[in-house]
Amino acid sequence: MNKVFKQVLGWFIAAIFFFPIYFWITVSIKKDKDIFALPPKLFDFEVSFAAYEEVFGISRFLYVEDMGAVRPGGGDFYMMPNLVDSIIIALGSTGVAMLISILAAYSLSRLPIRGQQHFMGWILSTRMMPPVAVAIPMFFIYKNIGLMDTHLGIIIIHALMNLPLAVLLMKSFFDDIPKDIDEAALLDGATRFFVFWRLVVPLAIGGIAATAVLCFIFSWTEFIFVLMLTQTGLKTIPVVSTSFVTSTGTAWDNMAALGTAAIIPAFIFILLVQRHLVRGLTLGSVKQ
Amino acid sequence: MAAQKSYSLPSFMNSDSSLPWLLPLITMLIVFAIIPFFYNIYLSFHEFVPAKRALLFVGWDNWIRLFTDGVFWGSLKVSLYYTFMCLLIQLVLGMGIALLIDSDDPGFGIIRSILTLTLVIPPAIAGMIFLIMEDANYGLIPWLLKSVGLIGPEDTILADPTLALWGVMIVDIWQWTPFMVLILVAGLRSLPSEPFESAVIDGARPFQVFRRLTLPMLHKVIAVAILIRGIDLWRMVDYVFVLTSGGPGTATYTLSLYSWQRFTFVQWGYGATISLFSLIVILIVGNAFIHFAKVKW
Repeated sequence: MNKVFKQVLGWFIAAIFFFPIYFWITVSIKKDKDIFALPPKLFDFEVSFAAYEEVFGISRFLYVEDMGAVRPGGGDFYMMPNLVDSIIIALGSTGVAMLISILAAYSLSRLPIRGQQHFMGWILSTRMMPPVAVAIPMFFIYKNIGLMDTHLGIIIIHALMNLPLAVLLMKSFFDDIPKDIDEAALLDGATRFFVFWRLVVPLAIGGIAATAVLCFIFSWTEFIFVLMLTQTGLKTIPVVSTSFVTSTGTAWDNMAALGTAAIIPAFIFILLVQRHLVRGLTLGSVKQ
Repeated sequence: MAAQKSYSLPSFMNSDSSLPWLLPLITMLIVFAIIPFFYNIYLSFHEFVPAKRALLFVGWDNWIRLFTDGVFWGSLKVSLYYTFMCLLIQLVLGMGIALLIDSDDPGFGIIRSILTLTLVIPPAIAGMIFLIMEDANYGLIPWLLKSVGLIGPEDTILADPTLALWGVMIVDIWQWTPFMVLILVAGLRSLPSEPFESAVIDGARPFQVFRRLTLPMLHKVIAVAILIRGIDLWRMVDYVFVLTSGGPGTATYTLSLYSWQRFTFVQWGYGATISLFSLIVILIVGNAFIHFAKVKW
């Protein structure tokens, strides 16, 4: 195929896949009249950051002294607490998943284990479970032990959700490090834990970062567990964004502002670990 | 070694036994995967009885109800259709795009980077993006389809029983075709170049090269992509939740959504039964696929 034609077609496809993202970002900075315009106004619209002010609570401080004239929704669309909840949960669950998976992956990569293939199969089977099938029983368990509606509860369930990915991916990164390093150090009298913590983990730091980023993103984007295991207080961004659709209409600009604010950090993170992305998406089985 | 002393604290971790290393993982999997699984089985033989305000043993009632429930069969059909159609379209489209952008020429790296972006969007928000683009009154997609005459001026997408599922599938195809592209490109890039060079010298046509060389050599990569995408398609609930909530009527109920919906209607036992059915299907099919496609981790 002609090289120029390939370039053109490639960019055309990239543009198609990027278009909905661009459109969403424009919705967040459009005024209502431009959002609903047909044919759609893709470039020539009036720019307004009112939606962001409402979502991040800037308008609260701007308008609160104005005879209490907080604009309609100025309070309802204040999403900072939800952003903070999302960050706490994503960071917490990533930490838990990484701690558990690094230990497990090291032993799966290095130490002799009876029935290793079955054990790996079991971990992979955990990855297959539909979230609803876990969330329904967890709902009752959480109600009984008081983890309902708590950060800890969601952190644990998101960590569990990410464990198969984290364990299998970390194992593939540890497998890349020659076992001779361990054996030489052990012969010199180093302990197993020293070898693990001081030699192998530092060598795998790039892989650990990539795995952590993926865990963070999957917790950040997770929907159904948060929907079913929280009731009133705690809502992460994906769940709270669905509450913008109401019977009296949808606050598209606010929703798009929140959505844009939620996806931009994820874009930056994923581009940072792009080198390991395919390995991550395939749970460590396809290497780039 | 002096440095070693400070690391001798967790002495149980210095043996060559793997158990202490795996203990946190095993504990976590037992508490949060095995126990819920059996609890789900327990629930499937119980049901909440509003009159007595209690969860009572009902024997096989939930399972009998499952197999005689038309909505369940409908949602099973939707789940199967959704999984197979999306998988097929994403695989074919993904392979086409992968073959196109598998190149060292400048620019293709950026194209690959752009394609990674859709993968990190929360599916619920991806649903929102298409909710506004497919809106019956001011949506971009119906407007486009109407102006080229593919649907009538009064037609809608998400409120139409036959089109609604495609309205949901388009989101999945948009968000996850790049997943296939990136995996297949990585596979293509790792192939050795010699067989292809000699095939060209032998005068093979491009399609023959693809059929006889590329596909067989990519077998493992394709199998892994199908497995992981298939699992996620089967479990999908975010898109239908946001876009149609299962409607119009029950036209876009998937198993997961129907299970969730029964659960919110305080039919806890029946909801658990549906989710258990969905779990058992994917465990059997998934593990059979791993076995027969010889996927190894």
